[in-house]
Amino acid sequence: MKVLFRATAELVAQVRRDLSRPHEFADERVGFLSVRAASGYGHLVLLADRYYPVADQDYIPDFTVGARIGQDALRKALETSLIDSVGMFHVHAHDFPGKLGFSRVDLREQENFVPDFFNVCETMPHGALVMNETELAGRVWLSKADIRPIDEFDTVGARMEVVLGPRSDDTNFYA
Amino acid sequence: MSNQRDFSRQSFLGSDSEDRLARLRVAIVGLGGGGSHIAQQLAHVGVGEIRLLDPDCIEPSNLNRLVGATQADVDAGTPKVDIARRIIQAIRPWIKVPIERQIWQKAIHFIQDVHVVIGCLDGYQQRGYLEGAARRYLLPYVDIGMDVTKVAENVFAVSGQMIMTRPGGPCLHCLGFLTPELLAREENRYGDAGINPQVVWTNGMLASLAVGEVMKLVTPWFPTHEPYTWLELDGNAQTVTPSEQPRYCLSTEVCPHHGGRDGLGDPFFTLAKISKR
Repeated sequence: MKVLFRATAELVAQVRRDLSRPHEFADERVGFLSVRAASGYGHLVLLADRYYPVADQDYIPDFTVGARIGQDALRKALETSLIDSVGMFHVHAHDFPGKLGFSRVDLREQENFVPDFFNVCETMPHGALVMNETELAGRVWLSKADIRPIDEFDTVGARMEVVLGPRSDDTNFYA
Repeated sequence: MSNQRDFSRQSFLGSDSEDRLARLRVAIVGLGGGGSHIAQQLAHVGVGEIRLLDPDCIEPSNLNRLVGATQADVDAGTPKVDIARRIIQAIRPWIKVPIERQIWQKAIHFIQDVHVVIGCLDGYQQRGYLEGAARRYLLPYVDIGMDVTKVAENVFAVSGQMIMTRPGGPCLHCLGFLTPELLAREENRYGDAGINPQVVWTNGMLASLAVGEVMKLVTPWFPTHEPYTWLELDGNAQTVTPSEQPRYCLSTEVCPHHGGRDGLGDPFFTLAKISKR
């Protein structure tokens, strides 16, 4: 089974716009995308539904990382997942050159908080995404311990963009 | 048998168009006069996976238009999806061609993970349902259809349309193509020239417009920003023009007919049901 992440071009543009806004002290911004899902012919299909930016006041000063969000931000995302029965994907942007991927800090932190979403919505996949101006990359949790790379990203707009993710079962493939 | 690929004659579609097309998955719903033409053309341009859905077998009356069909198929009652798969793989053996011999509602998994859905269905209600499914899975929907209307004794008007809609833009209802009046009228008749009149050349023209629309969607051969396309074919004059109908019907920028809470994905999805292999 391969994993496919699909979003409209309009939603992806909305996320990029939000993540590119400067913050008072954080170097980068963070948000959450809610997803619905379907199991197609050989693919798990993740369908991006809505974007939830992290509020300015929910960032915590920490100059060792690009952005650190507090418990309130996570609580709000957990509530959305619980109330709407949706998967939640943490999303942030990397706007530096080179291969798009998660940092070692990203990978470590995701493994701390993404499994918590299964405490409130165990029927849906959850995960994390990183984006730059042109691409998306990410990984999905199918349970608290089952982590997979996302194999394909579809952006649906006036042009249909289909971008394949890294071909590896190594969940640290972005490091 | 050679699997050699040479797409040099369509290289203007973009330097990476061969790869774009090779990783594309398209579902064709309905493999009659229109769908069989589309299947053939998508094979020629090099689409990597073409999924075919149609519950029917060929009948003698289909032979006037069903591309690839033979008298032997009629004699054998060959399923339409098998005829289309045969012609696709005769053109490019490397193309994946999964088939489903049942109505699309019973094979929704075939549609959920493609990139474009093409509807070649009889009936307006069915078009609305299929577009609704495409919206649910965030997919562009391309629709073709033709009609023949008796306008005087021994005089018939042949017409057709190709419409592309996509998530975020107006749908067939918003555009004024599917109207309550039309759907109600469908209950009583389909065409005035007998049941569901179809001819090969008009099917072919509409199919070519649909394939052109798919190519616009997936290859960067010219800038495009339209939220929809609606082309009308005048089969008598043999002309194609953009429809004027949306100018009079399109009143909202946000489609009120699809989406909303629980408007995306499989409403019965649960991780417990999926195969994780």
